[in-house]
Amino acid sequence: MPAEMANSTLAPLAGKLTVTPASEIPLNKLKLPPGFKIEIWSTGTPGVRAMSRGESGKIYAGTRGLGRVYEISDNGKERSSRILVDKLNQPAVTMHKGSLYVMAIDKVLRYDGIEANPNAQPVDMTAAFKLPPLQHHNWKYLSFGPDGKLYVPFGAPCNICEPGAEYAQIRRYNADGSGMEVIATGVRNTVGFDWHPVTKELWFSDHGRDWMGDDTPDDELNRMPKTGLNFGFPYCHASGVADRDIKKDKPCDGVTLPVTNMGPHAAVMGVTFYTGNMFPAEYKNTMFVARKGSWNRTKKLGFDVVTVTTDAEGKSAKVSPFLTGFKDDADNSFWGRPAYMLQMPDGSMLVSDEQLGAIYRISYAKP
Amino acid sequence: MVWATPAAWAQTAFQGAAQVNASIKAPERAAQCVACHGGAGVSQIPSIPSLAAQPKTFIENQLVLIREGLRDVPAMKGSLDGVPDAELVALAVYFSAQPAPPPAKGRVDKASLERGRELAKSALCGTCHLPQHQGRDQVPRLASQQEQFLLDVMKEYRDKPGPGRDTVMAAALYGINDAQLKDLAHFFAHSR
Repeated sequence: MPAEMANSTLAPLAGKLTVTPASEIPLNKLKLPPGFKIEIWSTGTPGVRAMSRGESGKIYAGTRGLGRVYEISDNGKERSSRILVDKLNQPAVTMHKGSLYVMAIDKVLRYDGIEANPNAQPVDMTAAFKLPPLQHHNWKYLSFGPDGKLYVPFGAPCNICEPGAEYAQIRRYNADGSGMEVIATGVRNTVGFDWHPVTKELWFSDHGRDWMGDDTPDDELNRMPKTGLNFGFPYCHASGVADRDIKKDKPCDGVTLPVTNMGPHAAVMGVTFYTGNMFPAEYKNTMFVARKGSWNRTKKLGFDVVTVTTDAEGKSAKVSPFLTGFKDDADNSFWGRPAYMLQMPDGSMLVSDEQLGAIYRISYAKP
Repeated sequence: MVWATPAAWAQTAFQGAAQVNASIKAPERAAQCVACHGGAGVSQIPSIPSLAAQPKTFIENQLVLIREGLRDVPAMKGSLDGVPDAELVALAVYFSAQPAPPPAKGRVDKASLERGRELAKSALCGTCHLPQHQGRDQVPRLASQQEQFLLDVMKEYRDKPGPGRDTVMAAALYGINDAQLKDLAHFFAHSR
């Protein structure tokens, strides 16, 4: 074991499980490019993560340790929320054809017609999905692809290890849990993906391993032009970094390297292609990536939302800051952790802050 | 509220560590807690943890998890029903500011204690729990905690890592056997 690890006191940052009122959110510290504006859209949902919007405008969101699924309603002036279901093990959600799909580490539920019927009882689909039991990095992100299949990650059950056949992969299922396919391997811990609006290719973020030093390896942003690719874990990280502990000859042979590195320990989360008309034209089909921020690094990195643009082949990626101000370099502190984006019908964009249990709304008006 | 005033963090040696503060008075609801957890949160019962000197965020998080049934503590079932977040925060602030319990007074098994010390080092407990195992933020204090409770809770983490429990902690205990857990508990309970 390297001495810097034995003597380190870096630890995962504490989540906050209690409500933070809007008056305690220092929104004026946030910075955006000219013309963009940010406001507090809703509060009172501790630990809020990925959001999914139903046809009627209700928004559903999962959490991690707190085990809750929230339903957020908007009357046009203000938002209210309720806990739809709780006591789950790190649940994620997604709306699909009027049904809410909820997946936790050990449970899958479907709420049919939930928007119109707040008392809808869930259909328990757990058995069909055959979920592997290990907890670590096995928390979920859920999304239906353009093919109508349900995509979900199964993270590595460790910081670094041979993950075994059931982990460190992305799978897709038919909506009823049948037809499971492992579509990508060597994926340590992705919790965010989206499909390119034009090419329909899947793009996903992936968290790199810890305890290899402040500056390596980087988190990844990957593109999946076809299924069956290997993205390198545990042998090959970032854009070709051999692992220090799990070694093999030519560790990066046959590995699909990332489109771009996203910063060491940055904690890349939600990935959202912007397809709306409110933001300036150059943002069309631009990818927004939330970086929740580092813990396994002496100087904090991330705590922001960045944009990523590439050429037509998905190469020459350029990563640019978009929403910043959640951390303060002067004293290495932070107050918020942006986690996921959700594009609204008017072209504005919601951003969830997992730390303060708040959702912000970003809009644009020509300056 | 700590999160809204990050500048205040720089004042302590370890961000989020508990600090004794005699000026913080017990909220009314604390009377219910100390009935089992002991006066000022120093437990006299082997299976019940001390709350004194636990980090504020740790206590706060556990109270929320127990209120919501994510952590199943049979003896506490129902006792926090409907208690608002603000009252849980006040309890956390109070117990976090109480002086730490003294190290365990029972007989010391020197060999076990040394094995526990070595294992704590090689398992890197001090990375998150800090080198003196005093805890910080969401990470509990282990030093001078009740020995039986430490053993019970580590077994629970290892064998039943349910909702609300930290998955890093579950992973940290993969493959550690019962005898080793006993050594760890013995060592931590006798630590200052």
